[in-house]
Amino acid sequence: MTRRLLLGALLATAALAQSVPSYQQLVYPPLKQVKIPEPVSFRLKNGMQVFLLEDHELPLINGLALVRTGNLFDPADKRGLSTILADVLRSGGTHARTGDQIDEELENIAASVESNMGETNASLSFSGLKETAGTVLRVFKEVMTDPEFRQDKIDLSISQMNSGIDRRNDDPQGIVEREISSVIYGRDNPYGWNIEHADMAHIQRSDLQAFYRRYYFPKNTMLAIYGDFSAPEMRTQLEELFADWNTEQPPVPAFPAVTAKPAPGVFLAEKSDVTQTFFAIGELSGTLRDPDYPALEVAVNILGSGFTSRLMSQIRTKMGLAYSIGAGWGANYDHPGTFRIVGSTKSATTAEAIVASRAEVEKMRAAEVSEQELKSAKDAVLNSFVFFFDSPAKTLNRVMMYQYYGYPKDFLFEYQKKVTAVTRADVLRVMREHIHPANLSIVAVGNPKDFGKPLSDVGKVQQIDLSIPPAPAK
Amino acid sequence: MRPRFALFLLIPALLAAQSVADLQKSFEKKVTEFTLANGLHFIVIERHEAPVVSFHTYMNVGSVDDPSAESGLAHMFEHMAFKGTPTIGTKNWPEEKAAMDAVDVIYNLLDAERNKGPRADPKKIAAIEADLETAMQKADSYVEPNEYDRVVESNGGLDMNAGTGEDSTNYYYSFPSNRIELWFLLESERFLHPVFREFYKERDVVREERRMRVESSSQGKLVEALSATAFAAHPYHNEPGGWASDIDHFRRPAAQRFYQQYYVPANMTLGIAGDVNPAQARKLAEKYFGRLPARPLPSQYRTVEPPQEGEKRVTISSPAQPFLILAYKRPDRHSPDDAALSVLDAVLSDGRTGLIYKDMVRDKQMALGAGSQPQFPGGKYPSLFLLYSAPSTGRSAEENEKELYQIVEQVKTTKIDQQTLDRVKTKLRAALIRKLGSNTGLAVELCTYYVNYGDWRKLFTELDDYEKVTAEDVQRVAKTYLVPEHLTVAYTFVPEGGAK
Repeated sequence: MTRRLLLGALLATAALAQSVPSYQQLVYPPLKQVKIPEPVSFRLKNGMQVFLLEDHELPLINGLALVRTGNLFDPADKRGLSTILADVLRSGGTHARTGDQIDEELENIAASVESNMGETNASLSFSGLKETAGTVLRVFKEVMTDPEFRQDKIDLSISQMNSGIDRRNDDPQGIVEREISSVIYGRDNPYGWNIEHADMAHIQRSDLQAFYRRYYFPKNTMLAIYGDFSAPEMRTQLEELFADWNTEQPPVPAFPAVTAKPAPGVFLAEKSDVTQTFFAIGELSGTLRDPDYPALEVAVNILGSGFTSRLMSQIRTKMGLAYSIGAGWGANYDHPGTFRIVGSTKSATTAEAIVASRAEVEKMRAAEVSEQELKSAKDAVLNSFVFFFDSPAKTLNRVMMYQYYGYPKDFLFEYQKKVTAVTRADVLRVMREHIHPANLSIVAVGNPKDFGKPLSDVGKVQQIDLSIPPAPAK
Repeated sequence: MRPRFALFLLIPALLAAQSVADLQKSFEKKVTEFTLANGLHFIVIERHEAPVVSFHTYMNVGSVDDPSAESGLAHMFEHMAFKGTPTIGTKNWPEEKAAMDAVDVIYNLLDAERNKGPRADPKKIAAIEADLETAMQKADSYVEPNEYDRVVESNGGLDMNAGTGEDSTNYYYSFPSNRIELWFLLESERFLHPVFREFYKERDVVREERRMRVESSSQGKLVEALSATAFAAHPYHNEPGGWASDIDHFRRPAAQRFYQQYYVPANMTLGIAGDVNPAQARKLAEKYFGRLPARPLPSQYRTVEPPQEGEKRVTISSPAQPFLILAYKRPDRHSPDDAALSVLDAVLSDGRTGLIYKDMVRDKQMALGAGSQPQFPGGKYPSLFLLYSAPSTGRSAEENEKELYQIVEQVKTTKIDQQTLDRVKTKLRAALIRKLGSNTGLAVELCTYYVNYGDWRKLFTELDDYEKVTAEDVQRVAKTYLVPEHLTVAYTFVPEGGAK
């Protein structure tokens, strides 16, 4: 034992003498060529678009269907309808079996089928072991094409939603994310409104059925499957499986347009049980189609992404005012997203942290970033580019998303080229053209009793009423 | 239809069993292990699907190792591990070092004056505080801010972060695979000679982290109170983030002592998963990590929690909607009952067929969410088996608590049926398979199993332990451990008149 230790110590001493290079001296071999798999793509006879990608590493099979709909189609008096629909699509069972029976059947074979509603797409996913692929696919198809929307599960879903509404002011991070959206997009449209108890009181089974019939049809659906299977065999299997799903509907209209007007100002939501103020500073941003999108990504990364950004260096590292602080440009595929800075600081330094964050935006608009900042930000994007291709699932998902939102197949490579070309002048230009200090909305969630400098130092303060409207009397 | 269904019922017990056996065999070929002379252990997992590689550093150090009145120190060190080295993060190392030392000389004077208690001179304190501020500013003026992070990010490093728990501290990120040597260099440097620069600024950041995670979250406060109540003597009493006043009193020399004592090579396991050549990794390991001097392993002994002799109860007054936790004492992860407790947990709350979900969420609609967790807050030492619930609007925490006792009673008095047992075992096997498809997942899992069980293969052989669990075992562990004398109840409640 002693000998071994002694020998270890000697070796360690010998190793100490060995010099190692500094990181600047390291020379890297060229990165190996990435193998980008090509999914098989085709349309079933019923019009459903399918993408298949074999991946034989593990004995699993996974799938994701996208349906062109979204909660942006919720009626104004039944906000949340599509969310309830997506939930009960799965839990409410099919014509042949209840949701509870499906739960047992799937979990007996360690499989899952889940349904979800997003802003601009609805999704249905499945996952299972290779050896039970047939069963999983059959259940998945049944749920997608033959839902029953049983009343007991509608009641459960609405009850869950109501409990969720009552809990929506419990987490300050959640409040600030929600309210900055509402302030920027406005509260009178599906981009910015909240779901209330009153909406839940109106939702009927017939509403779910009508929403389902309007949007869930083959030509309005894309399906991507990856995993341990043979693509030609899967194609045959899918043709058979979906042969009896032939419902037709007129094409789905465009999503409602964003009608947001600038809403500058300081908005305070009071919350008594916190020691930090959670804040967001933002305005409407843009889409990925915007020619300036690559430059904006670089610019906003320098401002607020990762540990080396200006916001992190200034607000966290130098001033010690925050643990969490960052910014994102927030572009969407199909409609303007929101640029936002999000952070949190102790109540006493609320105004200080917000003012300091806003100052970083101003600095980005006042002068060009340094050559080193630009290089680091571009290198971060370009050197990590390979991670876009590190799993077949990512590739498949991207191919489907591009097709769903009508983007060119080579969009990512064009993005890479444009990032390479971004200059310091570009960064300054896009910061000046796309970010408007006079339009910035500031939302703070916190306890003003403990604020040091008053929030009015930041700007004229308007109150946000967080109280939750009760359900209408029955 | 009927016969098919019956046949189908017979299959589950066998599902995925062959796949797991095959996968374990294939991993024997993909995994290479070696231990350096200084005791540092490497696990290399080859996965050449894409030219990327993920790294995981598992330090067998956590908040259970925090010194008394310095709760959160392990976490504080984790933050300092991103501050750089004598060559990374500085504009002028000798000057910076002298300036940092000067800060602590002044800080010692401040402490000395404060330690006089009622005889301390407020004017003197104010004067020293002013000197301290000037000295800190001088030290900070030599800092090249966030250089360590910048090198990682600009080289394509992805998802770099770290976390400190009760039992361990974990550091991780991924690189394109042509940057492997850069990771060896950066990771060995920061654990060979970390520099605790900007220590007192970072202390404020750590304090903000606590405000965010604990003080501004009703569930954060509840969990902190639960640990502090359930554990009277064992260090699981403290959360990894530490208590507010301890954070405010951290000193740089204490963090350095902590590093010296616990960050020893034999306490460190490194996982590398992805497009990596094990022979080359070994050469680089010797070259870079061979430099860490061997030091003795710290003691693993921690005050043993005495037996609990009656129910404990803790409440948090909060305007947030109520949340309820029942916590029963259970043995550590090496207990022969560990597998049965994991199966019990899955029976209670896995997926849409868990007993608690079906009863409280689905059928009685008394909870928005409810479930269980087999092991909290850690597993190295005896810990807790949790049941929890977020009551639905209009349903009380008391009603939810009673219902959870009903379910506990049910698993104690009735054996679970064979179909449920088979289902749970199949799901545990499938869950393992699903873990094996990512570099980051593999790096962390193999390190974790190696450190906690002495062999990464336990990741696979654990399934044999689950396979042996019978319905009687599940009933027996429920009877043994889910007993009122070993229970701590924690819940938040809305005070009269709403917000306090």
